Amino acid sequence: MNKRTLTALATALAASLALGATGCSKTKHADAGPDAGGKNPATANAGTVVGGTPQKGGTLTVLSNQDFTHLDPARNWVMNDMDFGTRLLYRTLVTYKAAPGTAGGELVPDLATDLGTSSNGAKTWTFHLKPGVKYEDGSPVTAGDVKYNVERSFSPDLPGGADYAARYLAGADGYQGPAQGKHLDSIKTPDDHTIVFELRKPFAEFPNATVMPTFAPVPQAQDKGPQYDNRPFSSGPYKIESYQRGKKLVLVRNTHWDAATDQVRKAYPDKLVMVMGLKANQIDDRLIASQGADASAVSWGALRPESAAKVLPSAEVRKRLIAESTNCTDMVQMHTGRAPFDDVKVRQAVQYALDKDAVLTSSGGPAFNDPSTAYMPASLFGGKQPDTVKVPVAGDVAKAKQLLKDAGKPDGFTTKMTVSTGDKGRAEAIQQALGKAGIKVTIETVDPSAFYATIGDTKNRTDMVYTGWCPDYPSGSTFLPFVFDGRYIKEKGNSGNHSLFRDDATMKKMDEIAALTDAKQANAAWQQLDGEILAKAPAVPVLVRRWPLVLGTNIAGAYGQTSFGGQLDYATAGLKDPSKSQG
Amino acid sequence: MTTTLAPAAAPTGRGPWQLARAELRRRTSVKISLAVVALFLVMAAAAPLLSRLGGWSPEEFDKTAVDPYLGGQPLGTLGGISADHWLGVEPVTGRDLFARVVHGAQVSLLIAFAATAIVVVAGTAAGIAAGYFGGRTDAVLSRLMDLTMSFPSLIFMIAMMSVAKDVNRIALMTAVIGLFGWPGIARVVRGQTLSLKHREYVDAARVNGSGSWRILTRDILPGVAGPVIAYTTLIIPGMIATEAALSYLGVGVRPPTPSWGQMIAESVAFYDTDPMYFVIPSACLFLTVLAFTLLGDALRDILDPRGSRS
Amino acid sequence: MILYIGRRLLGVTGVLIAIAAVTFTIFYVLPSDPAAAACGKSCSVERLAAIRTHMGLDEPVWKQFWEFASGIFTGRTMGSGQYALHCDFPCLGYSYENSESVWGLLMDRLPVSASLALGAAVLWLVLGLSAGVTAALRKDTLTDKVLMVGAVAAASLPVYFTSMMLIYGLIRTAGLLPYPQYVPFGSDPVHWASNLLLPWLALAVLYAAMYARQSRSSMIETMAEPYIRTARAKGLPRRTVVVKHGLRAGMTPILTIFGMDLGGLLAGAVITESIFGLPGIGRLFYGALSSGDQPVILGVTLLAAAFIVVANLAVDLLYAVVDPRVRY
Repeated sequence: MNKRTLTALATALAASLALGATGCSKTKHADAGPDAGGKNPATANAGTVVGGTPQKGGTLTVLSNQDFTHLDPARNWVMNDMDFGTRLLYRTLVTYKAAPGTAGGELVPDLATDLGTSSNGAKTWTFHLKPGVKYEDGSPVTAGDVKYNVERSFSPDLPGGADYAARYLAGADGYQGPAQGKHLDSIKTPDDHTIVFELRKPFAEFPNATVMPTFAPVPQAQDKGPQYDNRPFSSGPYKIESYQRGKKLVLVRNTHWDAATDQVRKAYPDKLVMVMGLKANQIDDRLIASQGADASAVSWGALRPESAAKVLPSAEVRKRLIAESTNCTDMVQMHTGRAPFDDVKVRQAVQYALDKDAVLTSSGGPAFNDPSTAYMPASLFGGKQPDTVKVPVAGDVAKAKQLLKDAGKPDGFTTKMTVSTGDKGRAEAIQQALGKAGIKVTIETVDPSAFYATIGDTKNRTDMVYTGWCPDYPSGSTFLPFVFDGRYIKEKGNSGNHSLFRDDATMKKMDEIAALTDAKQANAAWQQLDGEILAKAPAVPVLVRRWPLVLGTNIAGAYGQTSFGGQLDYATAGLKDPSKSQG
Repeated sequence: MTTTLAPAAAPTGRGPWQLARAELRRRTSVKISLAVVALFLVMAAAAPLLSRLGGWSPEEFDKTAVDPYLGGQPLGTLGGISADHWLGVEPVTGRDLFARVVHGAQVSLLIAFAATAIVVVAGTAAGIAAGYFGGRTDAVLSRLMDLTMSFPSLIFMIAMMSVAKDVNRIALMTAVIGLFGWPGIARVVRGQTLSLKHREYVDAARVNGSGSWRILTRDILPGVAGPVIAYTTLIIPGMIATEAALSYLGVGVRPPTPSWGQMIAESVAFYDTDPMYFVIPSACLFLTVLAFTLLGDALRDILDPRGSRS
Repeated sequence: MILYIGRRLLGVTGVLIAIAAVTFTIFYVLPSDPAAAACGKSCSVERLAAIRTHMGLDEPVWKQFWEFASGIFTGRTMGSGQYALHCDFPCLGYSYENSESVWGLLMDRLPVSASLALGAAVLWLVLGLSAGVTAALRKDTLTDKVLMVGAVAAASLPVYFTSMMLIYGLIRTAGLLPYPQYVPFGSDPVHWASNLLLPWLALAVLYAAMYARQSRSSMIETMAEPYIRTARAKGLPRRTVVVKHGLRAGMTPILTIFGMDLGGLLAGAVITESIFGLPGIGRLFYGALSSGDQPVILGVTLLAAAFIVVANLAVDLLYAVVDPRVRY
């Protein structure tokens, strides 16, 4: 799901963009044990909870350089924002377990009593709602409210949300939301505690999709259309006291939330204050110093790479650093549908010319990034990406030149690459490396808001694009088909498959894997297919970023949630000593 | 931030150029300023040559000069200053700062001078036309000046720069900066022209049957030349600062093309971890702006004496 | 006088309409698609078309402008059915980015920008004018030279350089001040001032330098006027001459510049706000630009223009009070 990476980038402005860094050296170190951890100073806390168990009470302060893209559950589809929304403000049918490391990818029931039951060959899914779950005004959460929010996500007034409902629900074509009084027949609510989804095709992983905020309840009486974004109605442990867009958000306890119905959220602090629009570097400096009220603060955005020099050499600050992998792979995707990249040799030349080391450095260095040797991130390979093509990490210019010669382009060629403003530094590193092999690249930077529209126009876009893809949940089915299935290509509004890769063998294999019922077998097959596609080089995997965060000294219960792009898990974060915080 | 302050219009005749030159030579501040300006002009003009001398092109990475584990900090003291990299390197990329500073000078000064040229030519033309022809021409041009001056110029420049995507950024920037600068000088020239219009020698020319064009170019234009030259020198620093401000805000020239403003923008984040990276382009910008301001002050004193000498 | 004010107000309205039209044209003629931006990554052609219709972007440009311009005065109703939203005078529409009313956003941010601008203005007027007048009265002495060299140097410093030096010196090293974070005046005046002191200084250094230079030359000119010489010759005390006659006439040109500067800054000091992370109008504008939030961009531009023309008008009216030679 590009969308999240993208939108995450979109929200970070030019100021925060130089960085955007998250990274994923987790692959190398997570399995290498504590002694290898010494090599990457950023990952010593990987897989552990920093600060011990929090005490109840106090005010947790979040310092941010930006505002949320959307908090309206029908529109919230950015990793960080989904973390914040579903951990604090609203509950979904199913959610992720609150645990560090890979355990954070496990599903647990939330509003529902279980992970859903399927029938009709995984085309019908039934969920039962727990009794006693209440909104902030004490009224009960009903199955109809969940249905209503799923319907809202179809409204053209409320764009931006996850599109699983649109892709899978039966009879959803042309549906434009509930505002005109029309409803979806494929979602049935036989009583207030039962909801049944009718899908148009079998979808064994449907419970994974119900983690999305689309499947959170919104009572129709509270729906104010686009304005709901500024005041979502709470079904979680906190409710909004005040929200000044771009300035400040204050959350206080939802007294009607019952911990007995919730096995995920701990809700330690009494209050959460998010201060927005601060300068990213000043946030880093404040947290490194951790003076006074800043001791009870965390950062919303990732640490900026230029702050690394102030963090990594200090053992005291390193103890407060978490740097979970984002599990998103950055790639250079080449237009395989036209010259010169219709020639596999030319694409391989790019594969060999690219100096991942240099891109890594411009992205914050090996402490906050890992070079990527496969398309799918390490989480889909059980912790470590294989290296099937064996291109040296700094590239092999001689080999690249030879490949260009074989392709009949001994003098190289000129081409263009579109990148989002935040990836400017990484793009310059790529430009440098390819230039050495004779491939002259012109960089076209595009504002994050216009980036997808620009590269989605397959006729007028540049030959190369620099994008990322994150699996929505730990399954190869949320990665390879989105990025390499030729049948998803659209002439305008194209997404994911920016290589325009149309390979019969690949598509046949994908259909075979989708038909597999055994998850383990499917997993192994996806992993093998990854290598097979890599050999055809429609795209070059570049790196996986981490999401480094420095915590205040008074923060406890903190870890990066792997399923939310490494963002701090707000379900469990709290304070060591609430009396030290300032309200 | 409004950077262009219109000095009061002044009724002067043709300046005694000889005297002016002697007066200029007498001042130390002028000599130093001229030296600084000359230095940067030479640097800008000879940028490719100089960077070849230094051994690095402005866009060439040097991975060996930075420490990837420390967020790409330059290796060595003072931001990596060494025999290899005369002014050190850019953190993260290891690009040579000397090469980037001299190429940045080229871009920054080119934009500033080109924009100044547009402003001066357009402003003088409009000012003379308004002042000389008067009547409806004057009314229309004066309204246009008022309107342009009511635009929140920096905000407007940022907006225009950020919407235009696939164009030559240098040309666009020059045009956009020029667009908002002309009314200041036009007002000065208009006032000047009004006072010259009814001088005896102009009336004499008119009586002798000279055409408007001839009077404008032979009699009026030389009369306004003094204040225009002084004013021009005084707006150059404003132009340099505006270019830097726009690039600083990320709407200026596009990477990897360097300009001083853009270099400062990127280096701000490193102001405490790699101070040299921040100080070098800032110092260049400061010195250039300062030198032009001093030069402009001196020229105004001499060519447009009512300004500050009594 | 009343006739004059009426005529000027009419002119102000005309200028604002012209500026709105120009801004509108720039953003709607140039390629940029807010519907695509809102639709996001996974966006089908049909959905994009539906969103475009809902945003009213399928209408001709002139019609969109007419609706916008007339809506400012008469209000407009946006959306339909349950989502219908009425936007009262002065209606500048709703942000694409966060669906807040643009007017509401501007009024929410205005206190921040106004605090910054007014505080800095007090500082730079005090510093700049006292330096300028002192230098003028001691023309060609050492004091004059030192002050003017300082002023020309300070005026050449870019505001972002001054800001970073202040942050480094006063926050990082000395720990004297907090990292700026806006606190409303009403809730805690002391914290309001201590948080804003640094941005005030950064902004004031630049303007004080410019005002010192300007006021010095203006003062020197005034003091050479015949009526000052007459006053002196009459044997009035120097103090009276300087304060009652010199300052009054010498400061009138400063008033013009001050009006322009303050008007411009009230609508947001983009660079200063972004350096210090202050959530003012400048920062709102900068954020809106990168997300292509056209209603907000348009709103800020109009507000900024309004401040400038109103400041100009105010200055012209003040002239009549300050300078006895001016009569309308």
